[in-house]
Parts: sequence; structure tokens; C-alpha cells
Amino acid sequence: MSTLIQEVRQRGERLFERHGIPHTRLEHWKYTDIRRAIEPWLAEKADVSPGSGYEALPTDDVAFQGIDGLDAYRIRVLDGRVIEIPEALPEGVIVQPLARLLADDEARAARILNADEQASLFNGLVALNTARAQDGVVITVEAGIELARPILIQHMGHAQAAHICHALELGAQAHAMVIEHYETPEQTAGFTNVVSRVQLGSGSSLVHVRLQQESSARMHIGRLDVCQQRDSLLKSHVITLGAQTSRLDLVVNLNEAGASCELNGLYLTAGRQHADHHTVIEHRAPYCRSREEYRGILDGRSRAVFNGRVVVHEGAVGTDSEQRNANLLLSDRAEIDTKPELEIYNDDVRCAHGATVGQLDEAQLFYMKARGLDDSQARELLTFAFADEVLVRLDVSAVRRHIERLSFDKLPYAGDFDAMSLGLEESA
Amino acid sequence: MLEIKNLHAEVDGREILKGIDLRIGTGEVHAIMGPNGSGKSTLSNVLAGREGYEVTAGTIMYKGRNLLDLSPEERVWEGVFLAFQYPVEIPGVNNAYLLRAGVNAKRRHLGLPELDAMDFMQLVREKAQLVELDPSFLSRGVNEGFSGGEKKRNEIFQMAVLEPSLAILDETDSGLDIDALKIVAKGVNKLRSPERSMIMVTHYQRLLDYVRPDVVHVLADGRILKSGGPELAQELDRRGYDWVREEAAA
Ligand SMILES: Nc1ncnc2c1ncn2[C@@H]1O[C@H](COP(=O)(O)OP(=O)(O)OP(=O)(O)O)[C@@H](O)[C@H]1O
Ligand SMILES: [Mg+2]
Repeated sequence: MSTLIQEVRQRGERLFERHGIPHTRLEHWKYTDIRRAIEPWLAEKADVSPGSGYEALPTDDVAFQGIDGLDAYRIRVLDGRVIEIPEALPEGVIVQPLARLLADDEARAARILNADEQASLFNGLVALNTARAQDGVVITVEAGIELARPILIQHMGHAQAAHICHALELGAQAHAMVIEHYETPEQTAGFTNVVSRVQLGSGSSLVHVRLQQESSARMHIGRLDVCQQRDSLLKSHVITLGAQTSRLDLVVNLNEAGASCELNGLYLTAGRQHADHHTVIEHRAPYCRSREEYRGILDGRSRAVFNGRVVVHEGAVGTDSEQRNANLLLSDRAEIDTKPELEIYNDDVRCAHGATVGQLDEAQLFYMKARGLDDSQARELLTFAFADEVLVRLDVSAVRRHIERLSFDKLPYAGDFDAMSLGLEESA
Repeated sequence: MLEIKNLHAEVDGREILKGIDLRIGTGEVHAIMGPNGSGKSTLSNVLAGREGYEVTAGTIMYKGRNLLDLSPEERVWEGVFLAFQYPVEIPGVNNAYLLRAGVNAKRRHLGLPELDAMDFMQLVREKAQLVELDPSFLSRGVNEGFSGGEKKRNEIFQMAVLEPSLAILDETDSGLDIDALKIVAKGVNKLRSPERSMIMVTHYQRLLDYVRPDVVHVLADGRILKSGGPELAQELDRRGYDWVREEAAA
């Protein structure tokens, strides 16, 4: 192994040793205790030697589910190794496994892997990712390229730890849509530790979907880091349905004037699931705009955490920021901890934020019953509508339908999604 | 069709209805008028079965059955319909879907086959014309972003689709401009039939010019103080309510 990569790996190890596994005395980990559950997955020392990334992995016992009716460039990742990339891509679009870059382009691989001190402080597992990630998908969309079809990255895993590092770079005026889809066979344990680093060139736009529906026995730790240049646009959709314990840190840096982001999130938790979303939006330049809406529906004895931080730096005049978090509790044993955090270091800003926690609205339920729906039907529809309000912003209908169906199936009602959506489609 | 005897009802422990007696024959249209806060919407909500509106005394018989034994949705299936004074917005719940679910629940209850999507869409298009409602409203969220007048028209449209035997229209004429009022009144008149009874709660004579009631009642302070023919509405319009109160007190 080259000394450059070795250095990066060692730095990762050192940072991980320094910050360690996050614990509940840390402000941003107060409600999420992963220490015990993560222990078995750390012992396993991953093989970090560079390889082609295509060596035969057992695939017969896992089935990638995919998304019905979605026409996409498909990439498959199994147990943290890239096992399939699209054969033909349009000019100016490059997809490479990180494992290959580790062998062929160390300087770039080192840049992609490298964990920064701040991220590691927030979550020591980011440093562990730097030390151990063997592979990931590196996507480059060159300046001016408009990708007509989405890129779908499917993740599947056995009961083991997978450290994955993705990178996505959009050149100036490039446009793309990328879907990160995480699933693992039901009931299998395991640990996913994934970091995605995104760079958006000036005037570029990215629609990013992150759908996590891993087994409810798995631990899923993710970080999505986005750096935006002038006038770039990010539309992010985070959908969290799976894993026993999940944590996502989403950090958006609006680094240059006119950049804007729209962050949509939906988490549905049940049983004893625990889902933690921490988002940070850094307004570092003038006239940037951010919109954020996360919604949660909690059932059973599940627990969710939402922490949305917006920082408006000195000089970020004309900042326009809105953030909302709304939660619906279907069970009185479910628990939500929600906290918007606003830090403003200049006067010329327009910021609004708010968080709500509630039950279904009585007046709306009555209205529906007064039109002939029984109680459970009315509740079902209203709950689904609550979730759907963030899903409707997803423009690709195949993906939206897929997620709507998954969400609907997860809700504790007996209804039939097809019967319901029939009315929606036809009247539309 | 409907017989209310000595009805007392409370909201939040406060008595609002203080002994209502009302009898509505099949095919009759009754108007209920009365000052703000007199209990008109409370009566409507009690009839529709809203939670929190507690009947403390009296009886309500509907088609020979005790209405109070039925849940809100059962009342709908049995033919009771309330057009709300303030229809709520339900963002994200599609108008057409809500209505189809309601219609099919009613049909199941009556032992009729459910309407498939095509039959249903044909039915609603037809009914939408009745109140000149643009069919694009159907694909929107329930009342979501509707203007006041559009909400009221949507209520009458839903009534047309659900084909009730007893319709309660709670101030369906409020907040309508004169053209919209004419459209709504036309719709209501088309729905008038010898099998269908209606209660129209209103503050204005104008609606009654278009939809002539058989009987007009004055509801004040939780009681029906006076009943009469259509000419009573005109008198109320001219003279207000005080004289009715005085007459009742005398
Ligand atoms: N949900 C409620 N909680 C508390 N008080 C209520 C509630 N609903 C009605 N009331 C009270 O009951 C009384 C009668 O109200 P109601 O809405 O029935 O009047 P109304 O005759 O329909 O008036 P309007 O002409 O203004 O529509 C009022 O004093 C009102 O404040
Ligand atoms: Mg009223």
C-alpha cells in the first residue's frame, strides 16, 4: 500500500482512538446510545488492501429488491464492496469503485477518504470509516452534463460490518439525480457505516434520495456531507424506515452566494426502533436559501431524535432559511426528542423554524367520518397524508410510489395501498 | 323522517341546547334561523354525532330508529349528511379518494356492490356539474387552498354524491357571492325530492328566496322560540330577533 493512503488510514485510526465511539455524554448523542450494540461489529478488522472490487462475493442468498418501474443506471454494493457498475454511461459521466481509485489514483482516493477533524468530533465513526472503508462509489458528472436518468446505488449486506465511502462530484451546470438505497435481508443483524461526500459545482443541481430500509436488527450509521458552490441547488430526500438503530448526520455547506438547499425527511419508526437525524445547514455566504422539513411518525415503543441546526455566519447577508419538524405519535409509549437550533451571526436574515409533536387532528377525523369513513380508515388516511406531504415533493413518480407503498405498508393499519392509490392516480 | 324531543346537549360541560323539539316530515325543507351563538351548529353537530357534544336529555328518532345509537359513519350510511359551516382542510387527502371511500363504505353497508374507479369517476363528474365545480378540484387535497365559496360548493357536491335522505346544511350560503349563491341554490333545488328532507341553517333571507322552505324556525338561546311559514323569514329579515324573544318571554 502506498504511503499516502497509509497515512490517511492511520490518521483515521488516530482520530477514531481520540474521539472513540460516540457516547451519551456528548451533546449531540444525548439520546442515542450505540455503544453496546456496536461493540461486536468493531472487533472485526477489515481487510483494507486495495483490490479491483469485483471479486466474487456470495450473492445467491441475498436478493436486491430494486424499485419497480424505475429506469436508472444501476450500481450494486454488497457488504461494502461494489459488485456492479453500469456498462454504458453517457459522455461526461464517470462511475468508479473507490477500490479501483485506491490502486490507480491515490491522491484522489486519499482526498475522498479523508475525514476532517470536525466531522470526527461530531461522530467518531466517520474517522473509523476513513480507516476501514474498502470501497464505495465515486461518481463524477462533468461540467454542463445533464443526466436524464437517475443513478441508483443499491446496497445489500450480510450480517457483518460494512464501511462504505461514496463521493459525488457535479461540475458547473451539471444536473443529476442519485438514489442511495439501503436494504438488507430481514432479521439479519449487521452494521452499516457509510459516508457520502458531495461537491456541487456552480450552477449545478442534484436531487439526492437516501432510502434506508435495512433489517430491523441492523445498525445503520450514515453521514452525508454536501459542499455547494455558487448558485447550486440541492434537493435532498431522506427516508428512514429500517434498522434497529439508525443515525444520520446530514451537513450542508452553502459556501458561495446564491446556493440553495431543500431538505425533506421522513422517518417511520415502530417496535423498539430508534432513529436519530441530525442536520446542519451552514449559511456561509450571502443570499443563500435553505428549506427543511422533516416529518416523523412513531409507533410502538420506538424513539426518534431530530436535531436541526442552522448556522448563519457573519457576512451571510440575505439569508433565507425555514425549518420545520413535525411528529405524529401513534402510541403513547413512543418518544420524540426534537430540537431546532438556530445560530445567527448577522442581522440581515429571514429565519423561521418550528417543531410540533401531536396526535391526529380531531376535526379532520370527524370530517372524514361525516363522509362515511370508519374510524380506522379515517386514521389510516390521515396518517398516510401526513407522511405523503413530504413525499409529494419527490418528483420521480416511480421512486415516490415505491416509498409511498413502503411507508403505507409500515403503518399499523389494514388498508390496501393499491386500492387507495387508484383513486389518487385516476383523479390526478 | 326526523323527530327531536326535548333535546338537551352540552359542550365542555356547558348546556347549549336547552330543550329542542323539532319534527321534520319526509321531503320537507326546514330553515333554522337565529342569532350567533344560539346553538344552530351545535344542533347540527349533535345530529352528525360529533364527539364532545353530549346529549344529556331528550331523544332523536330518525326513520323510526334512535339516531343517538349510531356512530357518525353509520349515520352517513343510513342517509344523514352534514354540510359543515366551516369545512376543514385536509392537506394530502385527495378529495376524490375520500369521497369514493365514503360512497363505497355506504354501499357495502347497504349490501350494494362497490363502485370501481371508472364508475365512480363518471358519477362524480356528473355531480360536479350540478354545482359547476371544476373537476380538477377532485384531484386536490380535501378543501386544501379552496376559497370560502369553493369549500361550500364542495360540500353540496359531496352531498349530491352521497345522496342522503336527511341533509343538514349549516350556513352553506355564508361567504358566497351572489353568483355562487345562485349556483349553490340551484344545486340544492335539484337535490330536492319527495324522499329527501333538508335542514337549512341560515342567517339570510336571500337563500330562502331561491330555495323555498316549508317551515322556518327561530332558534335562540338553545330553544326553538317560534316556527312559521316562509313569510316568517321575511319578517325576521326586516325586524331582527328581539321581538321573537320578547314574544316568547311574554
Ligand atoms: N367546541 C366548543 N367548545 C366550547 N364552546 C362551544 C363549542 N362549540 C360551540 N360552543 C359554544 O356554544 C354556543 C353555541 O355555538 P354554535 O356554534 O352552536 O352557535 P351558532 O348558532 O351556530 O352560531 P353562528 O350563527 O355564529 O354559527 C356558543 O356560545 C359557542 O361558543
Ligand atoms: Mg353555526
